[in-house]
Amino acid sequence: MAFLTLTDISKYFGGVAAVERFNLDVEKGEFVSFLGPSGCGKTTTLRMIAGFELPSSGTILLDSEDVTYKAPNQRNVGMVFQSYALFPNLTVGQNIGFGLQVRKENEAVIKARVDEMLGLIHLEQHQNKYPYQLSGGQQQRVALARALAIQPRVLLLDEPLSALDAKIRVELRLEIRRIQQALGITTVYVTHDQEEALSLSDRVVVMSQGRMEQVGTPFEIYNYPRTQFVAQFVGQLNLLPITGLDLAAETCLLAGQTVQFEHHQSRQLSEAPRLAIRPEEFRLGALEGCNVLSGRVETVMFLGAVVRLRVEVGGLLFSADLFNERNITPPRVGEQIEISFPVHACWLT
Amino acid sequence: MAAAMSFLPNLRNLFFPPASSQAKDRGSKRGASWFWMAVGVLYFVLPLVATFDFSLRARKGVLSFLAYERVFKDPAFWKTFIFSLEMAFFTILVSLLLVVPTAYWIRLRLPKLRVIVEFISMLPFVIPAIVLVFGFIRVFSGAPFFLTNTSFGTNVLLVAGYTVLALPYMFRAVDTGLAAIDVRSLTEAAQSLGAGWGTILFKIIFPNLRVAILSGAFLTLATVIGEFTIASFLVGINAFGPYMSLIGQNKTYESSSLAIISFMLTWAFMGLLQFLNRGQASSSLAGAH
Ligand SMILES: Nc1ncnc2c1ncn2[C@@H]1O[C@H](COP(=O)(O)OP(=O)(O)O)[C@@H](O)[C@H]1O
Ligand SMILES: [Mg+2]
Repeated sequence: MAFLTLTDISKYFGGVAAVERFNLDVEKGEFVSFLGPSGCGKTTTLRMIAGFELPSSGTILLDSEDVTYKAPNQRNVGMVFQSYALFPNLTVGQNIGFGLQVRKENEAVIKARVDEMLGLIHLEQHQNKYPYQLSGGQQQRVALARALAIQPRVLLLDEPLSALDAKIRVELRLEIRRIQQALGITTVYVTHDQEEALSLSDRVVVMSQGRMEQVGTPFEIYNYPRTQFVAQFVGQLNLLPITGLDLAAETCLLAGQTVQFEHHQSRQLSEAPRLAIRPEEFRLGALEGCNVLSGRVETVMFLGAVVRLRVEVGGLLFSADLFNERNITPPRVGEQIEISFPVHACWLT
Repeated sequence: MAAAMSFLPNLRNLFFPPASSQAKDRGSKRGASWFWMAVGVLYFVLPLVATFDFSLRARKGVLSFLAYERVFKDPAFWKTFIFSLEMAFFTILVSLLLVVPTAYWIRLRLPKLRVIVEFISMLPFVIPAIVLVFGFIRVFSGAPFFLTNTSFGTNVLLVAGYTVLALPYMFRAVDTGLAAIDVRSLTEAAQSLGAGWGTILFKIIFPNLRVAILSGAFLTLATVIGEFTIASFLVGINAFGPYMSLIGQNKTYESSSLAIISFMLTWAFMGLLQFLNRGQASSSLAGAH
């Protein structure tokens, strides 16, 4: 029996579906992310778990209790917002202790818990400061501590890192994962950032237009995207038009050059199938046992860890990410190159 | 007439000189703005100075604070002033309890209604107080209320009337204050931590509206202290407004000193407000980082 279960959850705003037939089981202690573009219904789903929105249909079970229509302040669910939402009139310590104060815990218990939480987020010296005296990253840590102080049954985070700059974002991401694992708390995390979702989660729910596209581990989502949407939204993907398709032989022509691919019978093909390849699957040169294309380098972008090429093959353009290696000079613009990719790395959609 | 006409172009040249060297241009522009500034200051300050000067001349031939002394020694001054202060206090209390939850709920759940409520709150600017007080007396002095039969009932009516008068100031101030905080997120954060509506209102919303509430309260106080129409119909000379008016009609020097006193009071309130505002402004500025 899962700890948090959403069954056939739908939500309509004035007849328009924001979320449709959402089904999910979250195990106790699991970290699940909702990943999808803006407007796909992630926040709405999260807010139904928190109780800020009521589903139009469906049920939500939390720890075997039906909480579908329970008031948000009765659910014992911790929530972290993109905007931090710290109480400006309360100090850091008072913010963290607020939930326990509301529960009329005695002062000693509150103080002990606040100290424990401050230790967890490494902000012991800031207990008596007001939110405006802290940086964005610190404020969000306090918000996290405040949500955790009530020992919630589930921790919900709605794009908690979106308002922070890149470096802090990565730091705090690690911090969130560390704390989540230390406490073993069941967590639902909303983000539109695939890197965040993939790096943090036990499982990822990819959403599009109110529907679930795929649920799986980051490994599954990235390597075995089940829909074209997932394949395109998670990671980079080249989608190239083909001719001369021979399904039996698993070959096709890409700008006149023969390409071998792996075809899964279960996969539904569209009317005009295209070949999908991730940019990082390419290697420079003609490798044995691989598909080899020869083309012309259009652009070279040096990104540090990788060098991103745009390669033109018979009028088709695709991107290829090569690992940067100190002893290998990247190709130059205009150069004719041969470039390879493994048979198992490409598929038809 | 002709002289005035011929004078006009010169005036225009003085303030909007024809194009000349840039430095000279800038210099004369600055001169013009100083001039207008001075005109403005004189416009406001001269009557004040004149009134103050006049209020010092109660004793023939010398300047003295005699008029002030007389005012402060008049028991009616203190009685009416304190009465109006009390009325102001209850007005502020009632209008806060009315306006804060309303404005909060509108921001939180009924944003579309905001325009309508704002319009309603502005009605006291349009409807004369005399209409309001006649209406009050008509409705509430007869059965089944008989409010004007007791002084308590009359005071209740007075506070009710003042609450209406204070509505534009209160609603504006509180609504502006609410706009400055993220009402929805704060509410939801508090809810998820287990707080009910009472806790949210009194532990989160009210404290974060401190400055807004103070400014609304001071404006209400200033309005109530000097209010004449409603007070004179309901409680007559017991209130400060009618008292001031009576003094103004009968005692020349004392009325000037009263004007100066009430002016000082207003300024003191405004100064206090500015002071409190400054703290808030710098803190919210720091919060933006
Ligand atoms: N309170 C609301 N009223 C009307 N439409 C809403 C409301 N909340 C969300 N929506 C709509 O529902 C859809 C999903 O929104 P949301 O859950 O916020 O998406 P996400 O968090 O994935 O960006 C959007 O089209 C949005 O416009
Ligand atoms: Mg969202």
